Amino acid sequence: MFRQILRSQWLALRLPVALLAVLGFALPLLTVTYGGALENAPSATVAQWLFASQKIGILIPGLALLVGLLLGIGTWAPDHAGKHVYALSLPVPRPMYVLLRFAAGATLVAVPVLALGIGSTVAVLAVKLPSGIHAYPAQLTLRFAMACLVCFAIFFAISISTRRAALAVLGLLGGVLLADLVLAALSISGGASVTESVIYLLTNWPGPLAILMGRWALFDV
Amino acid sequence: MSSAVRSLLAIAVLGASAQAAWSQGLRDRDAAIRGLLARAQGLATEIARQDSVVRREQHRERLATRFDAGAVTVILPVSVGNATGRRFAAGAFQLLDSAGVIPWPFVQSRIVVAYAATGVDSVVRAERLERRSRIMADISAAPDSLADGLLAAAVLGNAYLATLDGEWRAWLPGDMAIGWSMRREGTGAARELMAGETRAGARCLGGSVADCRLWLGLDRDSGESRYQPAEIRRVLTSRWGTWVGRGLIGECQAGSDDACEKLVREGRWLQAIPAGPVSRGSLLNAVCRLHGSEALRRALADTSGSVGERLARGTHLSEDSLVAEWRSWLLTGGGQSPVTADLRDAVPAVLVAALLLLAAARSGRWR
Repeated sequence: MFRQILRSQWLALRLPVALLAVLGFALPLLTVTYGGALENAPSATVAQWLFASQKIGILIPGLALLVGLLLGIGTWAPDHAGKHVYALSLPVPRPMYVLLRFAAGATLVAVPVLALGIGSTVAVLAVKLPSGIHAYPAQLTLRFAMACLVCFAIFFAISISTRRAALAVLGLLGGVLLADLVLAALSISGGASVTESVIYLLTNWPGPLAILMGRWALFDV
Repeated sequence: MSSAVRSLLAIAVLGASAQAAWSQGLRDRDAAIRGLLARAQGLATEIARQDSVVRREQHRERLATRFDAGAVTVILPVSVGNATGRRFAAGAFQLLDSAGVIPWPFVQSRIVVAYAATGVDSVVRAERLERRSRIMADISAAPDSLADGLLAAAVLGNAYLATLDGEWRAWLPGDMAIGWSMRREGTGAARELMAGETRAGARCLGGSVADCRLWLGLDRDSGESRYQPAEIRRVLTSRWGTWVGRGLIGECQAGSDDACEKLVREGRWLQAIPAGPVSRGSLLNAVCRLHGSEALRRALADTSGSVGERLARGTHLSEDSLVAEWRSWLLTGGGQSPVTADLRDAVPAVLVAALLLLAAARSGRWR
């Protein structure tokens, strides 16, 4: 059954998957468009190149977010279009069906991840690095895979959630903002912000979005 | 009626009309002049009123007000306003507190006084602050200069620097790097190192700790060892183009290595330490962030050996280990490790994905 679901999902999502794969392959290669023979290059050139590498690195978690968004929502698109009749007609319990959908979506996520891995390897092979600068193709690819998985799971869950769950999430976000407004109005915040604290908790280890933060440069010190 | 009579009548009618028009013109002109006079009087009144406002404001500028925050006391012109003054003093205290370099007794025994504030003596007497030393600062009442207390903190840093021994005074940045932040100054320091203007800087970037020490000027070596003659020529050329100077500058540009080395020894045309104040500030901040401000205070209280030796003793590390730590700290934007993908990253990511999958499986639209 997994193969059938994967096949149907591939047919529905092949265009975004191909597009994401091209982006994943191209991003690491952008770094080497600034030059490759750096072994004896002046420090200023190496510095500019390193800064460019770090700037391009910032785009990679953005790509992970895009992968999660397109594939996470796209996974349920055929079910939403068919009013879930196909799913209900299958002789499998709902949790199993969700698991199969998730597994099929995660398999498709592997395509842009693999493309980024290949792109990184090609980029690393194309440059001669000066001493003190290192390449991190394996770490970058693995981190990208984890970031894609988290983003995919988030959008996968949002896409199939009930209206009540969506309202609860929106209510929680609204409550956080309201708490800040109330604290500010009563002048009892003392410089603290609930929104800032929540963002801090979400984006710092072990927060769910911590994987998207940190450094993402393929080449670094 | 003869034509002569008609002509006379016509002339009389024309004359009367001209007279009437002339009289009307005079009346209009008088009215215009009266209007102008009234406006001029109005303007004069307005100018006098504005002058009086300016004089009142100038009088207010001459008065001073005291603001306290923690150990920090500043005296500002009264025109600054209470809220702004309090915010300024609090900003200075916060910066000094986070830098943690200057001992509080030193700060408590000083008052930062704005040049713009007068009548300071009466304020000092009234507030019984006579025993405190005054540090004059070019603080204006402009909102920009009163934004975050950085100026007051820097002034106190500069005053504290003056109490240290010659070795520190020659090496430390003028403001003791108070208010140094990785986002602003850290990027500048990393760029300076990466610019590779000197061979020591370029090799430091490449990982040579000995060259990092040279670049930072941590050892008691001569300035010549920090620069190559060719680098000195390059610096001169970048500063003055192809213009050939006289004396030592001219000789150095003409190719005399001795002249170039003398230029460095003189220290007038080229700073003796290749790393600028922002980069040297990065070392101070690395020590504080990685070993606590107590380590830096210990080093500043130390008066024997080179700056590098003092910092090493303060942090209980070898000089090379400290410098290697600083290099890595600076180049990784404050100790951020390069891209990682270990168990520490994987566990939360997989757990989050599993929890979301569980949530999706337990509730759904077609249940």
